Amino acid sequence: MLRYAWQFMKYDKAKSVGIIIGIVISIFLIGQQTGIFIFLTNAMKALVTNSRADLWVVDSKTINANALGKLDIRKLREIESVEGVAHVYPVVVAGGSARFDDGTTAGVQLIGSDAPSFRIGLDPKKIIGGNLERMLEDGAVSADYFDRASLGQAGLGTNFEINGKNAFIAVQTSGVRGFGGIFMFTTIEKARYFGNIPNTDISAVLVDVLPGADPSAVRDRINRTIFGVRAWTSKDFAGSTVGFLLTNSGIGFSIGSLIVFALIAGFFIIGLTMYSAALDRIRDYGTLKGIGATNGYIIRLILLQAFLFSLAGFAVGYLFIDLFRQGVGKAGTVFTYSPLMIAGFFFVTLFISLGGAAFAIRRIVSLEPASVFRG
Amino acid sequence: MYRTDAWDEVDGIGAFRPFLSTCYNNPCEPLRTAMPVIAEVIQASKEFISGDTVIVALKPSSMELSMGKVTLIIGPSGSGKTTLLSLIGCVIYPTSGEVIIDGIRTSGLSARKMAGIRLNKIGFIFQQFNLLAPLTAEQNVMLPLTLQGIPDAEAKGRVRKVLEQVNMSHRAKSLPKMMSGGEQQRIAIARALVTDAPVMLCDEPTASLDTQSAHIVMEELKNQAACGKAVAIVTHDMRLKPYADEIVYVENGQISKTEINEPI
Repeated sequence: MLRYAWQFMKYDKAKSVGIIIGIVISIFLIGQQTGIFIFLTNAMKALVTNSRADLWVVDSKTINANALGKLDIRKLREIESVEGVAHVYPVVVAGGSARFDDGTTAGVQLIGSDAPSFRIGLDPKKIIGGNLERMLEDGAVSADYFDRASLGQAGLGTNFEINGKNAFIAVQTSGVRGFGGIFMFTTIEKARYFGNIPNTDISAVLVDVLPGADPSAVRDRINRTIFGVRAWTSKDFAGSTVGFLLTNSGIGFSIGSLIVFALIAGFFIIGLTMYSAALDRIRDYGTLKGIGATNGYIIRLILLQAFLFSLAGFAVGYLFIDLFRQGVGKAGTVFTYSPLMIAGFFFVTLFISLGGAAFAIRRIVSLEPASVFRG
Repeated sequence: MYRTDAWDEVDGIGAFRPFLSTCYNNPCEPLRTAMPVIAEVIQASKEFISGDTVIVALKPSSMELSMGKVTLIIGPSGSGKTTLLSLIGCVIYPTSGEVIIDGIRTSGLSARKMAGIRLNKIGFIFQQFNLLAPLTAEQNVMLPLTLQGIPDAEAKGRVRKVLEQVNMSHRAKSLPKMMSGGEQQRIAIARALVTDAPVMLCDEPTASLDTQSAHIVMEELKNQAACGKAVAIVTHDMRLKPYADEIVYVENGQISKTEINEPI
């Protein structure tokens, strides 16, 4: 049957190419939108995912890591005293305006944490220039390589001003970018200095739990015992941030609807082209029925063609998706597809191909074997 | 008596007819000693409903196809001869009456079992040849064997043999569009022969052919009847009469007369 399916596909080259192009367009659009979606959601939760802590403790009203409220510094000691807490690390987040020599200005988000541990943002694995020791110098901040276009092409060592105060880029990271604002990581003292944040205020507390302690239990204990704060596991806080931004920005609906339309478009392009190909071959299918092929055989023959189309379409479509991913990655829109997601793309391809074949199957199944005598 | 236990033959692989296989495998020693009836139409009628109108395509009619005979079904357009052929060919169900193929009553059979009868009991030859355009001659001939589930190696051997029988071995790898009408019809005959079905039904097999090709095709069909097959041919073409053992005339939706012919 494989041989017959292949012969049918090969014989009608124009339609076969049309079906494969339909699959490629559909799967490329789905892959592209999914990639952008992954990038955006990663950016939304970047502050949390670029920190190294078991728990985040923030103001009790805060559900979005990109809009942290204010905490009293005394909460730090209260949290430290809770059973199961090993270490606490204060974090200060402040807004600022950066001005460069060439006149470029940019809004930045200063994120300060204690040196030398730098529990947020300055993961050695993501540092591509400079070193952490220099972060102790006056005015030292980090900047991301992919934000350089927004920062007047500023690179390592570039001097500039934040809120009118001297600063320079001591460390350059790669792929640590925020959603909306440009991240600049620094020490907690410099974040206060640049952002005019009083010593009594912090934005969040990162918590390491004792070895063997259950982070969820410690979180619950903090929430039960300390008034005015809310503790989250890092995963939950990242999830809450993404959920809040997706619901309130319309990004989820927008990208979701694009994916749905790509699915529908693919489904109909493939379905109608397969239907048209089946109509072109209706005499052959009628002959098959006439000489004794069952509907089951013919359905399998059409589904096998759809499967072969989906294999070819997926191979080409995924190649384009990966080229797109590499292309936008060079511009800083960095994301990766998990193996599960790639498998998902393949199953979507199968779904639209086999689903599209339903149009042709419906037509052929209704064909009477007697049609073979009608010339 | 009609057999009720014949399903193994319908659904099974290949047709069970040892008395024919010698002829198929060793063409062609004529079998003229016995002419058993292989297909019967008993007071079968066919009506089609179109909206509120009932169209009578065939009034209650009876006929038989015997092995070893060429039966010509002749009549003007719209007389009901193709309906008669469709009933014998198990592509439609009779509205009333019975159609019996190789001892199997077709009334009330499922579409799947009807397909089984078509595959295993009947070889079809069509006016427009009806070869599958994307497949080569060899693949077209092999198709019924594939549908029967015959392993490739065995099927290829049988295809080779039957292509030799119709002198078309040299066209095995050609697509239908690369062949003349006569060549295509010979490939269609090979496809009808390859399963060694006892009945061959031909719908205007010479209508699209020139005189020379028509003669070759009719000789081949006559040869198959001589090998013991029951061959039924629907035609307008009176020139085919000399090839027939029996002629059935169909007019106004019914069989008007049947005559025994002295064949050439």
